[in-house]
Amino acid sequence: MTNKVEEMLAFFIRDKKHHSFRQPAADKYELARHFMEGQVPDVDRAALRLMHVLDREQAVLFEGERIALVRTVTTIPELFTEEEMAVLKETHWIHELGDISNICVDYTKLLNVGFDDKRAELNGYKTNYLLAGDTKAVHYLELQVGILDSVEALTNRYRLLALEKGNEIVAKTLSHVPAKAPQNLLEALQMFRIIHFTLWCSRNYHNTIGRLDQFIYPYLKKDMDLGIYDYDSALELIEEFFITFNRDSDLYPGMQQGDNGQSLMLGGRNEDGSDSYNLLSELCLKASLEVKLIDPKINLRVHKDTPMETYLLGTELTKQGLGFPQYCNDDVVIPGLLNLGYEKKDVYNYTVAACWEFIIPGEAMDVVNIGALSFAKAVEDVVIDELEECHSYEDFEDRVTRSIQRQTDHMAEQVKNLYIFPSPFLSLMMGDCAKQAKDVSLGCKYNNYGFHGSGIATAADSMAAVKKYVFEEKSVDKSVLINALKNDFEGEDRLFGLLRYDAPKMGNNIDYVDQIASRLLRDFALSLKGKVNDRSGIFRAGTGSAMYFLWHARDIPATPDGRKKGEGLAANYSPSLFSRCKGPVSIIKSFTKPDLKLTINGGPLTLELQDTVFRSKESMYKVAMLVKSFVDLGGHELQLNSVNRETLLDAQKHPEYYHNLIVRVWGWSGYFVELDKEYQDHIIQRMELAV
Amino acid sequence: MSQKGLIFDSKEFSVFDGPGIRQTVFFKGCPLRCNWCHNPEGLQNKPELMVSAASCIHCGKCSLACTHDKCIACGDCVEVCPLRLRKIAGTYMTAKELAESIHENSEYYARYGGGVTFSGGEPLMQAEFLIEVLDLLPDVHKAIETSGFAGSATFRKVISRLDYVLMDIKIFDDELHQKYTGVSNRQILENAGILCEGNTPFVIRIPLIPGVNDNELNFRQTAKLIAGAKALQKIELLPYHKTAGAKYSSVGRMYEPIFDIDRTINISRKVFDEYNVRSSVL
Repeated sequence: MTNKVEEMLAFFIRDKKHHSFRQPAADKYELARHFMEGQVPDVDRAALRLMHVLDREQAVLFEGERIALVRTVTTIPELFTEEEMAVLKETHWIHELGDISNICVDYTKLLNVGFDDKRAELNGYKTNYLLAGDTKAVHYLELQVGILDSVEALTNRYRLLALEKGNEIVAKTLSHVPAKAPQNLLEALQMFRIIHFTLWCSRNYHNTIGRLDQFIYPYLKKDMDLGIYDYDSALELIEEFFITFNRDSDLYPGMQQGDNGQSLMLGGRNEDGSDSYNLLSELCLKASLEVKLIDPKINLRVHKDTPMETYLLGTELTKQGLGFPQYCNDDVVIPGLLNLGYEKKDVYNYTVAACWEFIIPGEAMDVVNIGALSFAKAVEDVVIDELEECHSYEDFEDRVTRSIQRQTDHMAEQVKNLYIFPSPFLSLMMGDCAKQAKDVSLGCKYNNYGFHGSGIATAADSMAAVKKYVFEEKSVDKSVLINALKNDFEGEDRLFGLLRYDAPKMGNNIDYVDQIASRLLRDFALSLKGKVNDRSGIFRAGTGSAMYFLWHARDIPATPDGRKKGEGLAANYSPSLFSRCKGPVSIIKSFTKPDLKLTINGGPLTLELQDTVFRSKESMYKVAMLVKSFVDLGGHELQLNSVNRETLLDAQKHPEYYHNLIVRVWGWSGYFVELDKEYQDHIIQRMELAV
Repeated sequence: MSQKGLIFDSKEFSVFDGPGIRQTVFFKGCPLRCNWCHNPEGLQNKPELMVSAASCIHCGKCSLACTHDKCIACGDCVEVCPLRLRKIAGTYMTAKELAESIHENSEYYARYGGGVTFSGGEPLMQAEFLIEVLDLLPDVHKAIETSGFAGSATFRKVISRLDYVLMDIKIFDDELHQKYTGVSNRQILENAGILCEGNTPFVIRIPLIPGVNDNELNFRQTAKLIAGAKALQKIELLPYHKTAGAKYSSVGRMYEPIFDIDRTINISRKVFDEYNVRSSVL
């Protein structure tokens, strides 16, 4: 890392000095009240709000900066008053905050064009609509042009400031972009920054980055060919660019700090079978490795021909303990998305939305996290209400299938009449929206809804326990089990121990339980087959959980896998929290058995690896092979964590959830929770010293 | 050929126990009593109760379940512990059973350049059982982690069935070896000689115990013994770590090191370079 990048990290990340330029918080409903009084239509509100924010943005430049724009406005006003929202919610399904989020735009629609040409294009459409007498379309296009003007007014303020401050680089860059299409790498990155910045100002959120290594690469290549950059100086610029994603991120909406969806996808198989991984993909991995920032979040598209070197670079990144890269397996995701009806050329261009849901850039107005199935509840309901009547395990299993169907029927019914706030700016980068003068909130080429599925391991383990002890061994009486669950295992120590620790658990490569999980996932996918949402899209089943693993855990009493009431479910696609698995190989084998093409909304298996397996070059190679094995065996999505101090501290507090946590102590490994406290402390201490 | 072996653990994804991704099987029972041993549950050649007291909530259910004056490792208290902090370390298995469990994932490991490593305890203490297991795994890459403490005939028989050997030469001086491990190293050095003459790839490991064997003389004597051996891959140095005693209380024993655990370890690879022996620190 160069001194310059280090200085920028200290300035923006450590000291957050740019925060001193932020404007005080404002009344977030003031504008909405004004809109309500004037009975302003929603599209106008969205455009006016964005222009309102852009107009209030003050230009601020920092020493040595090459890529400008930093937020000073801290409050993005609401579009509607609280009363208006209440009325809207009575008749509509409002997804989260209501604004478009969690999709990936096609940045090139603006980035490669420049605002001058885009305005000309929009004015061309306007002329046609004027002739056709479509005043609504004309007005919409005028709003879009107005937004472009506001953005350019802001960048012009920046340009003037740059001239004043003697920052010739920024002044020169902004004399070309955004008005003209970028001519070089720096201009392209500045253009991206302008677009991304504007998306956040329009209160669109979880604004993913997508396949940056593909759409920026031509600019890099050109500059490298011209000798403007060498490897190191290009890396330095990418690092500066990465820092921009972290300057304002605390202002972005999200469940918690860091949950802002700035996901970057690298590499991926092309339609002709070749790999799109390029020099920029590598520079992005290297940049992330050096700056060690949580944004952008790195995702890697891999497949059976991905070379070990790529996995090795990824493993080096995992070693940093940031929890990425996340791996997406093209060999599973591509056929999975094709099966769902996505067009081939779109499928090969897939990326991830904010977290892990697979999405098509620029074409999908999919709402990939509109709801979630609770696998655990689907099983639990049958156990509590119907188990007594079940005459065989097959009967029980069929009832679970129907229970899943009942839940998804209800979920699909609930999400009718979706209303999404318009976003005229974002719409410029989606499908044919500009040409049609149509806001993308009303729909695009793909309008599918995605459902997560939480608690798969808890559900499969519970069914396996019922199968084994109630129906096969007949060692546990139906009524005894039901009462034990209702009474949270009070006075049933042996039964509790048996179910919790001795019953077969998903994650141990035991077909007995893994096949049940496969069936549950298939049931989920089949239950959605043929369902059409009211935007003519389909429903996609997934293995993610988002925050639902917490919410769904609250809804159910104790479960037949020995989980007590109030205990959590595992996040995403992972073994249950207290099942002690034999190791990562068994976990990978278990979790790659289901046909994951069916549940391709996304949701990763998460593996925790002790930091010491990343110690030597040789052992790093073995970790890289472990990742490759997941891909070879047909896994869809994988996230690895290098276990760090925080995890260990939490494990001390909640040892019951960390049975699988292995730490290497001294030429050997042990289960962390089994070590004496003083030794646990010792290891934690060691982690404090680790770099 | 029907004796059972005593196994106390098995581990997936071992990355430091030989080439590729491996599974490691731990044999219970060891003839040595190394003063720094970190696997106290591997020492006794019979099953024993292990208790992780650190997370105990003192509910007392284990005491209620127990009907014996002295622990016989029956496991009655294991099932009632709500946090399952108790377990019986040591399971008897037939060679066939163990081979089958190894075969479960052996193809996977083979695909990623690995196989199985037998560790312990001391696997050579159950040599006949081990040989039976090895003969059932013709298609698996097999390695051993051993102290090398066994009769030469036995040692040769086992080595001839292996693809890779990781063997300790803990201390070269016999007197010190006896003091710190409880046994003479005569047989160990003899067996090291067998490795040096043979073709089976091997690694020599030295646990670096502060003030005990981390000195140039010990390094030199060891290096001299093995230098030039054609199948020698490298020397691995394993610096002592203070957490060695972590599991003693769980098997009801005291960890009583007779060396200065706080002393700085002398980690030097210089001598090995002199003898042209590759070395690394684990």
